[in-house]
Amino acid sequence: MADPKESWKQEDDEEEEDIDETSYISQKDAVLFAIDVSESMLLSPPSSDSNKGETDSPTIAAIKCAYQIMQQRIISSPKDMMGVLLFGTEESKFQEEEYSNSRGHLAYPHCYLLSDLNVPAAEDVKVLKAIVEDDEEAKSLLVPTKEPFSMSNVLFCANQIFTTKAPNFGSRRLFIITDKDDPHSTDKKARSQAAVRAKDLYDLGVIIELFPISHADHEFDRANFYDDIIYRDPDEESTLLAAPNNFKSSGDGISLLTNLISDINSKQVAKRTLFSNLPFEIGPGFKISVKGYNLLQKQAPARSSFIWLGGETPQIAVGESARMEEDTTRIVDKAEIKKAYKFGGTQILFKPEEQKELKTFGPPVLRIIGFKPQNMLPFWASVKKSTFIYPSEEDYVGSTRVFAALWQKLLNDKKMGVAWYIARTNATPLLVAILPSQERLDEATNIQVLPAGLWLYPLPFADDIRNPPDVPTPIVSPDNLVDEMRKIVQQLQLPKAHYDPVKYPNPSLQWHYRILQAYALDEEIPDVPEDKTIPKYRQINKRAGEYINNWQKLLAEQVQLFQKERKERGGLKHEIEDDDGPPKKKARTSAKAATKGLAEMSADDLRKAVEAGTLGKHSVAEFKDLLLAKGLSTSGRKQELIDRVEQWLDDN
Amino acid sequence: MADKQAIVYIVDQGASTAESHSGREESDLEYGMRYVWDKIATTMAANRTTWNLGVLGLRSDDSVNPLYSSEGDEGYGNISLLKDLGPMRMNELANLQTSLKPSSTNSGDAISAIIIAVSMIEEFTTLKSGKPGKFLRRIVLVTDGQGTLDDSDLDSIADKINEVDIELVVIGIDFDDLEFGFKEEDKPEGKASNEAILQSLVQKCNSGIFGTVAEAVQNLSIPEVKTPRPYSTFKGPLALGDFAKYPDSTMLIDVERYFKTHIARAVTASSFVTRASTANEETGASSKTLEEDTEMADAPELSAVKSTFTYKVNDPTAPGGKKDVSRDDLAKGFEYGRTAVHISASEENVTKLETTQSFSIIGFIPSDKYEKYLNMGESCVTIAKCINVEAVIALSSFIHALHELDSYAVARIVAKDGKDPVIILLAPLIEPDFEGLVDVPLPFAEDIRMYRFPPLDRVITTSGATVTKHRNLPTDELTNAMSDYVNAMDLSTFGKDDEGQPTEYMPMEDTYSPAVHRINQAIRKRAIHPDAPVDPPAEVLMKWSHPPDELVSGNASELKALIDAASVKKVPPKQNGRRFNRETIKPLSGLDVDSLLDRDHRQKISIENSIPDFKQIVSSATSDSNIHDAAKQMSNIICQLVKDSTGDSGYSRALENMKVLRIELLSLEMPDIYNDFIREFKRRLMEGDLGGDRREFFLRVRGEKLGLIDNMALDFCDVSEEDAAQFYSMKVGLPSRAK
Repeated sequence: MADPKESWKQEDDEEEEDIDETSYISQKDAVLFAIDVSESMLLSPPSSDSNKGETDSPTIAAIKCAYQIMQQRIISSPKDMMGVLLFGTEESKFQEEEYSNSRGHLAYPHCYLLSDLNVPAAEDVKVLKAIVEDDEEAKSLLVPTKEPFSMSNVLFCANQIFTTKAPNFGSRRLFIITDKDDPHSTDKKARSQAAVRAKDLYDLGVIIELFPISHADHEFDRANFYDDIIYRDPDEESTLLAAPNNFKSSGDGISLLTNLISDINSKQVAKRTLFSNLPFEIGPGFKISVKGYNLLQKQAPARSSFIWLGGETPQIAVGESARMEEDTTRIVDKAEIKKAYKFGGTQILFKPEEQKELKTFGPPVLRIIGFKPQNMLPFWASVKKSTFIYPSEEDYVGSTRVFAALWQKLLNDKKMGVAWYIARTNATPLLVAILPSQERLDEATNIQVLPAGLWLYPLPFADDIRNPPDVPTPIVSPDNLVDEMRKIVQQLQLPKAHYDPVKYPNPSLQWHYRILQAYALDEEIPDVPEDKTIPKYRQINKRAGEYINNWQKLLAEQVQLFQKERKERGGLKHEIEDDDGPPKKKARTSAKAATKGLAEMSADDLRKAVEAGTLGKHSVAEFKDLLLAKGLSTSGRKQELIDRVEQWLDDN
Repeated sequence: MADKQAIVYIVDQGASTAESHSGREESDLEYGMRYVWDKIATTMAANRTTWNLGVLGLRSDDSVNPLYSSEGDEGYGNISLLKDLGPMRMNELANLQTSLKPSSTNSGDAISAIIIAVSMIEEFTTLKSGKPGKFLRRIVLVTDGQGTLDDSDLDSIADKINEVDIELVVIGIDFDDLEFGFKEEDKPEGKASNEAILQSLVQKCNSGIFGTVAEAVQNLSIPEVKTPRPYSTFKGPLALGDFAKYPDSTMLIDVERYFKTHIARAVTASSFVTRASTANEETGASSKTLEEDTEMADAPELSAVKSTFTYKVNDPTAPGGKKDVSRDDLAKGFEYGRTAVHISASEENVTKLETTQSFSIIGFIPSDKYEKYLNMGESCVTIAKCINVEAVIALSSFIHALHELDSYAVARIVAKDGKDPVIILLAPLIEPDFEGLVDVPLPFAEDIRMYRFPPLDRVITTSGATVTKHRNLPTDELTNAMSDYVNAMDLSTFGKDDEGQPTEYMPMEDTYSPAVHRINQAIRKRAIHPDAPVDPPAEVLMKWSHPPDELVSGNASELKALIDAASVKKVPPKQNGRRFNRETIKPLSGLDVDSLLDRDHRQKISIENSIPDFKQIVSSATSDSNIHDAAKQMSNIICQLVKDSTGDSGYSRALENMKVLRIELLSLEMPDIYNDFIREFKRRLMEGDLGGDRREFFLRVRGEKLGLIDNMALDFCDVSEEDAAQFYSMKVGLPSRAK
């Protein structure tokens, strides 16, 4: 399958800055769900008194989970593949003929390929939706076989799906959801075959993730079978793995589905590194190695595409760009293209190697310059999302303990590192603050929502700092008004006093895909978007309405008072503020009074201005206006005009 | 910032400027010109048509200037107009470079030159209406202070300069400047008094600078930070509550929101090609060569590059499975997964969320509950609409309430009707003369991709037990050493302010974007010295790339203690080329899977399971011939996959097999096997032996860099880097894909 992104790459190279980042993200991922269909997997959990009790059997929960995740992936990673394979079913079904190799066609009994591994299409969503929403459909399909079947066959079936559909994907994962911890307890040969097929998958580059289901009367034991099936890269933090999760189909508390979804969710996004083994220089001559991860990634609706309607079904037209010489329309080769900068009506040229040299500031490194207290980082000093780093033992043994010690120190003393940072060869250097994060677990599921580690927080350069327009010195609010406002703020704290992004899906993104889904699946088009970012007005009114009303009244009073006082003081500074207010304010206000047009000033004001020596601050135009109004000559230089005004004041 | 500029440079090129002083090798003129060239190049680099500059040569051989020719006044002799006021072009720069050489005379009066410059600026900046236009006006005089000056009428000259509103800058070659710390020891006769005259003239001007070249040149390396105009991102009410529904209990404050940070981007290069010469006669003749492109007038050899697009769709009946479609036959739509969803033109905006401009508070959080590293980027600042007293007082109460409660506000903002909503976090900012709210964008649910990582303060073993003592956890000794080191390397008071008081080291205002300024400096230099090589980055740009030496040397013992406590070991480079009996990977249980494999059976590689089969044979190989045999089988499979491919359907799989073959043979240090294969493969492919025209496949081979293994990858390899690059070319090129 040709990657349509490839041909657009050229177009993007004008935005040199961001391009390498996107190429890391475009590393593609393929996930195949293998869901066990058996008597015990189809058993609904024993009912409980609690209303929250779930009724979904583990198999249905797993298919629901796959359905949700498929819809999510269409939004979050539209180039990635996904598939759903049921095993242990009475019926068998494999890929359509065009993909199965005619000579080596193998049957995979009791494997039912519900949705082939591919970038999901509307059809795939429909298939899952039908099972999830239609009990009859589910019942007719989810019939467990009475015959014994072999796991090695299931694994080889998965192998063939990956081999044919996602041969060159950087990340390929098989998610097995089952409650059987020992499928071949009596058949040693079948066990060995499965282990061999698992090794094949490992050699093919497929990683197996197990989502074991335990029942009230049976705890899933990996040692029985799956420890022979599952491999861990010895370089990966093997001993540091988080505790393995077992899911209970028990009918009370948090539902199996919720648990499964949150666990699969945290694993469904392939863990892509932004960079590997970056030297982290803690002091001169003292290095450890770290890996970088992009845990924040702005999601936006995909750009519109060109669609060809001439065929049976609408098809995306794949664009290919070519470069041509503007005046001759001759197609030019990439090697011919030179880069030049506009300069004084012409171009300044650099050779490609010079161009490259100008972007070189040294090899990739994260080098500590020193440490500062975290409060020295102003709130607004933000320019870019941060990058998460985590230690790696691959280049330097002992990196993890040093990293942990640094993390601990920064966390305890609320300090931050300041560092010079070049992420990749020829990447633009940045200055970053190194901030520690404390691990946070979800209160309900105990699943990690924020990892412990360090973050590279890009700092603005002097060039990145903007300033608002000059404004007159602010009028500081009187204390009683602040007091009233304080009550409002106290009333309207967010739940758990914290901003939880999970509660705020991006409304534009959701609406975009909601509509597309409706079009693609021929569903009814919804009228009203669900927008969870809109403030809860009714609650605001209920909790703080009274205080806001009080504040409004008080504000009106204070404004009136202020204006009255200002009038009485003839434009002099209002005295609500503390006496130690900056002296500059006074100067400004009086200067403002002085800039009141001369023509509008009374004779007395003018005399005051003469005494204060501020008359000269007015413009020649103002003098001319004034003199004209008094019927005097407007000719001559500024000093002459001033003299004439003063003369007139003396005379009158 | 005034948008229009009129600057006249007066350059003293008297015979005396050919000399070299103060131990410099370059002539005095060249020394002074370092400043002038840089300033001229800065103006040119801005590419602004409203930035005008002119150049006068002082003590020149010629006497070509408006006042000399019109009034014939000898007092204006030996002053030459080298460039009239106007935008500066590249060819003019070249002219200046030839004309600004030391002359053979020492006559010519700097004061007269200033008068000429004043009249030039006055004339240039007076609008048609007769009123002065809004300009930044400046005269820059660079002189060595030799020659005679007529100081008889300095007052009236200063008056005139002030009246026209000109800034006078005098930069003297080896002028004394005690503040900067420069004094010329062997000052020529008369120079001191000339310095005094010029200084008194500058002092009489309302706006003027009097300095020495040494300081000016030193300041050149300090990058100039552009201050763009404030950019407003929102103007309207900041709301708390729903005014339409609850008018009596809704807070509405009239506010304006501006950028607070915005990443400054380096200038971007555009693409050009050397203009096709007569070689391209047939297309050249038909193109509009008559149309003279003024932009390109200076560089006729370059031609701009544009992109064209062609579109393809799948069509099983077409050769290669794809056919071209015309852009005009295509409709608009979106991708939902791999399904194409057509949206007709009349419904174009159906997927767009309808929004109206708004800025409303969602709720509040305590400031210590905010994790800085979770924000999404550039910040803004919100201020009350300043002419609205009510808004000013209202916002002030809001700001102070947040400040007193140590709270931040979460708000939803739609900058303009139809724009996407964004969630931001607002914090109070109170400065002596300023009150406002600063904000940063927060992530939405979809923006967060939390991967899970093991904790750093405990280790969970595979069996699920938690331990607190482990080789991956710091010992108490390491913890203490790290603590001491971090304390020692504190920067919060390491800097010095103007009064020499301790202050923060590396404040943001002193950090300059290396990417932006390096390219700017290089462009200016290239413009003036086209043949000079590219410089390494300026010192000021690299200043923050290392910890300060003083701090490091003062805390060497803390670092030493940390290194000792850490006992970090570098991993030796990977051992490649271990051909046989490689360590085998085992599953979690440690089961020896290889012993379960049926050896004899596994010597045969099946097309279905080729990659695992091949890897397993290689890892269990006991002789070279095993590997040769396995590679041979793989080669056949790859050819088979390409040959059987319908269109490009089998290409990815063939490429993956090639990639595995290449990587394995590379790590076995047996490059010849691969190179022989890929040469033979290319030959068969080009000859159409693998199922017709498969040159498209070879492009993919090139794209994935699966060609010859060269001596860069393995030093003993007999293929050079150039050979490997050459290998990718296909002698018979593909027919051009664009029409």
